[in-house]
Amino acid sequence: MRKVAIYGKGGIGKSTTTQNTVAALAEMGKKVMVVGCDPKADSTRLLLNGLAQKTVLDTLREEGEDVELEDIRMEGFGNCLCTESGGPEPGVGCAGRGIITSINLLEQLGAYHEDEQLDYVFYDVLGDVVCGGFAMPIREGKAQEIYIVCSGEMMAMYAANNICKGIRKFAEAGGVRLGGLICNSRKVDNESEMIEEFARRLGSQMVHFVPRDNDVQRAEIRKMTVIDWNPGCSQADEYRMLARSIDENDLFIIPDPLSIDELESLLLEFGVLEAAAA
Amino acid sequence: MTTHTAKRVNSPFVATRNACKLCTPLGACLAFAGVAGARTILHGSQGCATYIRRYMISHFKEPVDIASSNFSESATIFGGRENLRAGLANVTRQYQPEVIGVATTCLAETIGEDVGMYLHEIRSQSSADDPALPPVVHVGTPSYCGTHAEGYLATVHALVSQLAEDGSSGEHVNVFPNMFSPADLRYLKEICHDFGLPVTLLPDYSDTLDGPTWDDYQLIPEGGTPLAAVRRTGQARASIEFTCVHGEKASAGRWLEDHFHVPNHRLPMPIGIRASDALFDALGSICGGETPARHAAERGRLIDSLVDGHKYLFERRAVVFGEEDLVAGIAGLLGELGVHPVLCASGGDSGRLRSAIAGLVPDQAEQIQVRQATDYADLEELAGDLKPDLLIGNSKGYWLARRLNVPLVRIGFPIHDRVGGARLLHVGYRGAQQLVDRTINTLLESIQEQSDEGYSYL
Repeated sequence: MRKVAIYGKGGIGKSTTTQNTVAALAEMGKKVMVVGCDPKADSTRLLLNGLAQKTVLDTLREEGEDVELEDIRMEGFGNCLCTESGGPEPGVGCAGRGIITSINLLEQLGAYHEDEQLDYVFYDVLGDVVCGGFAMPIREGKAQEIYIVCSGEMMAMYAANNICKGIRKFAEAGGVRLGGLICNSRKVDNESEMIEEFARRLGSQMVHFVPRDNDVQRAEIRKMTVIDWNPGCSQADEYRMLARSIDENDLFIIPDPLSIDELESLLLEFGVLEAAAA
Repeated sequence: MTTHTAKRVNSPFVATRNACKLCTPLGACLAFAGVAGARTILHGSQGCATYIRRYMISHFKEPVDIASSNFSESATIFGGRENLRAGLANVTRQYQPEVIGVATTCLAETIGEDVGMYLHEIRSQSSADDPALPPVVHVGTPSYCGTHAEGYLATVHALVSQLAEDGSSGEHVNVFPNMFSPADLRYLKEICHDFGLPVTLLPDYSDTLDGPTWDDYQLIPEGGTPLAAVRRTGQARASIEFTCVHGEKASAGRWLEDHFHVPNHRLPMPIGIRASDALFDALGSICGGETPARHAAERGRLIDSLVDGHKYLFERRAVVFGEEDLVAGIAGLLGELGVHPVLCASGGDSGRLRSAIAGLVPDQAEQIQVRQATDYADLEELAGDLKPDLLIGNSKGYWLARRLNVPLVRIGFPIHDRVGGARLLHVGYRGAQQLVDRTINTLLESIQEQSDEGYSYL
């Protein structure tokens, strides 16, 4: 079983990318579980066609310790399994502790047990790793590989670089590795080349360049992944390629984060200067 | 004078080993215990209440009830509003308190509990079944950024800033003590009374934590500053408070000066002759009177005893530890006795201990080592090198005294290995007299014990 965590700047499309990729893996016949680690609990909406799911923490709060795996896990597209950690309402409590509790509970309940015959577990984690709780999915014994969703926009790259700093710390102590960057295109100039170069300098790779396509939004408004909504469209093939890249990936490294100067010069070189020259 | 605020240079130890301070909410519980009819709820983990109760009960030898909002895992994740609501309702039902104090534990602070907002919501959403809540005063007391002394002062500040009312000026004076003993508090009231000044002492746990035996158990012991008097602190003719290390943010006197134009007198703890003189002078200037004759007589006897005791005390070396204000006060007294306070140490980290000591012991300022943010392991290492004749501090320093084979004069809080901690005097001429006598006698006893001859005439 491969355990994968998806990180990236808030709003970059982590949940959308994760669910579309999971749909493609499921289509390939893989058995996948998705663990949403966002207090908003919206990481599995497309796979469940909008079915509201009872979160792990709500269930724990209401049922106490007598939680059954069936209470908190639902079957979605292509027989994938979906759970949402959930968490407190904005502004109160401790969402980070919620993720820790939720992941511990899933382990206790045997969600990752061999009997489940899972090929993949995907952790979809909220925006930045703001505290220890949000790093829970990449602590020792949890996810072994991380993909960072980013784009050619400066703040997305800045966030990706920051996440690499976090990964480095956990990689040295535990076993987690960076599997690569997923570029979720924002139609920035030279975006693909720049992210490829950024990934190379981190010591990693761009696993796939996902072009911007309104079919993603068309599917999303119907509470579906692209493959679920229109398996024949070209964007569906993009997610299939991304899924295959992840499935066949064998480059797992401890990233070497860039200094701010290096990062900015990369942006200048690819983003501003080349565009200006053209 | 040398000052260290971190561990010794090149020391491999970075962890604190037995900190020379106590938990911040402990100070809050002590201060709330000095308000009449008050009950305290600690918002957060249950163990905090247990630890603080144990510490206070063993020192004061009195029953101490402290409620806890008792966070579970789900309260930690979703926030503790429901726990607080249930806690307030239970405490109101069981104790019928006149005031409830809510202090936070580290857990509640770390997850960012907004107790002020919760209290507002709880009041505005209460149903007919809920008991009517008394006034609730809340104070944030994370232990990782403060000490029990800071928790105490922050609580006094919270009481005043959340309850005090404006109004026509009264004749009374506000006295805001620091971490004083019940005996100190009784004595302060006596001094004010002898000046003819009506006084509001806040907090006043002289009865609640040092009371008589009862025929029937009292859910809330009698005594303490009445709620009405706390409200009237805004109408006093003046305030006196005792700290020279803690900032104005934690100053109840300053708050009243800023909001209700009550003149504030900020004094060091009145320990020793000069610091006590400052208190008597301040009281004299407020009421336009002289130091009452019986107190002047006490001062005279004190000075006579210093002359008598000089031969025992002169050039002795002492290590002082505890709360910063207490340490500074004792250093001032020792300077007056001719004793060298060679090391003054505290777990507090105000950054002002050195200047406070320099102000109180100006002639020895260069020779005194001042240590802030310290722990007892550190203290042992430093004190051993300094070859002190005695230690002055709370009973947590006992094993230090034992290992160094140096006698310990027990003062302040906590005193867990002797009785009478509540009745020790520290402040004023009378407190100085007790400290002088106890210090000399401790030294004499030590000389006798260590002598082969067994002299009975010293």
